Amino acid sequence: MISLFLASVIIFFVLRMLPGDASATLLGVGTTEEQLDQLRDELGANEPLVVQYAQWLKDFVTGSSVSLISGSSFGELVIQRASITVPLSLMAFTIAVLVSLPLGIVSATKRTSALGAFVSAASQVGVAVPIFWVGILLISIFSLQLGWLPAGTFPRQGWDDPGEALRALILPALTIAIAMSAVMVRYVRSSVLDVLETDYMRTAQSLGYSQSRALLRHGLRNAAVPVVAILGIELGTSLLGAVVVENVFGLGGLGQLLLSSVTSRDLPIIQNLVLLLTAVVLIINALVEILQQWLDPRLRVPHGRRRRLRVSKSQVGA
Amino acid sequence: MSAALVLGACSNASNDDASPNEETSTGQIADEVIVGSTNEPTTLERNVGGSSGISEALTRNVFEGLTSINDEGKVENTLAETIEVSEDGLTYTFTLQRDVLFHDGTPLTSADVAWSVNEAIGPNSLSARASDLRVIQEIETPDDRTVVMHLDHASASLPFFLASVTIVKDGDKENNSENGTGPYVLDEWVQGDHLTMVLNDDYWGEPAKTPVITFQFFTDETALNNALQTGAVDLVIHQESPDQLATFESNPDFVVTEGDSIKKWVWTFNNKEEPFTDERVRQALYKAIDREALLTAVWGEYGEVIGSMPPVSEPWFDASFADIHAYDPEEAKALLEEAGASGLTTDITYVAGGTEEIIVQQLRANLADIGVTLNLVPVDDSAWYEDVYTNKDYETTLMNHNNPRDVLWYANPDFYWQYDNAQVQELAVQADSAASEEEQVELIHSLSDIIAHEAPSAWLFMAPQIRIADASVSGFSASKNAEPFYVGNLVKEG
Repeated sequence: MISLFLASVIIFFVLRMLPGDASATLLGVGTTEEQLDQLRDELGANEPLVVQYAQWLKDFVTGSSVSLISGSSFGELVIQRASITVPLSLMAFTIAVLVSLPLGIVSATKRTSALGAFVSAASQVGVAVPIFWVGILLISIFSLQLGWLPAGTFPRQGWDDPGEALRALILPALTIAIAMSAVMVRYVRSSVLDVLETDYMRTAQSLGYSQSRALLRHGLRNAAVPVVAILGIELGTSLLGAVVVENVFGLGGLGQLLLSSVTSRDLPIIQNLVLLLTAVVLIINALVEILQQWLDPRLRVPHGRRRRLRVSKSQVGA
Repeated sequence: MSAALVLGACSNASNDDASPNEETSTGQIADEVIVGSTNEPTTLERNVGGSSGISEALTRNVFEGLTSINDEGKVENTLAETIEVSEDGLTYTFTLQRDVLFHDGTPLTSADVAWSVNEAIGPNSLSARASDLRVIQEIETPDDRTVVMHLDHASASLPFFLASVTIVKDGDKENNSENGTGPYVLDEWVQGDHLTMVLNDDYWGEPAKTPVITFQFFTDETALNNALQTGAVDLVIHQESPDQLATFESNPDFVVTEGDSIKKWVWTFNNKEEPFTDERVRQALYKAIDREALLTAVWGEYGEVIGSMPPVSEPWFDASFADIHAYDPEEAKALLEEAGASGLTTDITYVAGGTEEIIVQQLRANLADIGVTLNLVPVDDSAWYEDVYTNKDYETTLMNHNNPRDVLWYANPDFYWQYDNAQVQELAVQADSAASEEEQVELIHSLSDIIAHEAPSAWLFMAPQIRIADASVSGFSASKNAEPFYVGNLVKEG
């Protein structure tokens, strides 16, 4: 809660340092300064900053924020856009996990083999290549050359025809997934490598377990702890990846909304969106922490004290 | 390269009277045409600023004015059946078309016209044309079909300016009113994605041809072109990426058209800022630019070099203006020396983007040849409006201007280029109250001639109007001489 409040303060005041205002963008060339000032009054842009900040928080909490530019309600905009971005980022994340976990493990356990070397090299390339370029490449191969998949635009009927909607998301999701997998493969690989070097793995192997059985029985759970942290970060990243990728594919999702709002200085929309994304990332982080504690009970120590205190209170109450 | 011209005439002229449903059942034309554009309306409020997105998609299609500007740039009557002007030019009497219905079924009356015009000229109007229209002193409505406007001075441009005032229902206080009289009814606008309009079955005039028209919006040119290539859109109305033209030109599945545009690339000097207060400096910088080479670098064989603000399609255009400050680096150097500004260093503030980058690089190279250093200051749209347009805090700037008859902005000393010339201002006033059209043309030509010599800005070139359509699509004008994109004749076969 406190991080969210701090984030709101930073988001609000940092945005105010940017040059440009929505009124001028809205009115365009040919209008007078009086008209500009009048519109600023109507939009509340002439109020003191603190008043504007309070107004924004109030609008955010009560859900009554509207776009300065189009007058559309923030809630409606987000729900409609999220119906593209959320499935897109989940698809990308799922593909990335399905690809990178096995590849990461294989490239660690078989690191001396050709396959391991190949996966390792491919992931290096994947990390270095810009995400928009991957998108352009996929479009030119799978849409323009082969004609298998649409090059962009989300069906106008939205999810009424789920098949069409999914088809529209395949290439963008792959684009994000390729970039994400490249990063994740490297993390999974190094976590598994760390585990392979531990004493208990050596002990297990000396007791006659094969490397893979030892890994399955004892290693993976430990290797998973750092990997879960990365998965959390990457889940957030998949949302941010959507910002770039939606533009390349002409998908009207949250990313494009953010981009167009920034260009037109539609401050309420930018602020709300960034705050919302911050909240989502904070929630993901909290979930990651819980998951890590479940995987490795040793991590509970610092938080354990707090928990014990709460428990004892309730015991007193009972 | 000669471009094909695709105009209204199409194969289904014989069954124009058939209802759209019958037409589609014969399999002749498609139910829907999808128009791809990067110019999305920012709002559906009709009278806000220049709002070129809303006028492009909705004016003439969903909303109509008393007059409109047709695809050739000529003013014609629309909701006004006749316009009578009094001897002294101070009274305009409009007789409205019969049997016009709003989309909600109520009939159009003179009261609706009076209300809509008053809204556009009222003290709270945010319309960019408000000051041009404030020549209207009073509006009378003697009967339901007659509107009388009394002016405070004669204004030959009134019918032109009235084309930007779209008529909605009297007292319709909704800013996002969609209750117009046009051949199409607005169906839905999903911001950031698309806008759909459907046929108005009770349209008073010639009915439109395709049941559903969708404008599909893009922020990225490449995404738009890909969508055309894969059939997700049928027509791209502004091709802004010259480098992607070749793909379409060589493909028989597409038709590339070139027409007149009103899009001028203008490099403007801050005329109140040293050293640009000295006309010799402005002229020198203008002469240093090889505009032919610049145009070729950006558009290949398309487009046209100009030497003053008016575009080719306006009656006061003069091709010889382009030679006044023709490319001459030696003379440019001499002029700079004379003005004591040799070795000048200055900034150019511009909105970062594809075409802009090519232009500023060329400008910088040309200026380096005469010993002038140009610092590039890329900004985004919003920052440009604040720094350059509103605060006039800049040295030189690059902008493309896309409004009809905007040469008259040089008569406004408060406009962002801060050019203050009493003679130009006087000519603009005279032109507005000119007795005849010939006289008006003559006066604006003189005005354009003065600015062409004094060079408050350097007019670089006119961008071509290039549209690319799927070969099955016809019924659109190649030229863009006004803001609206009329879709009433648009059809897609098959």
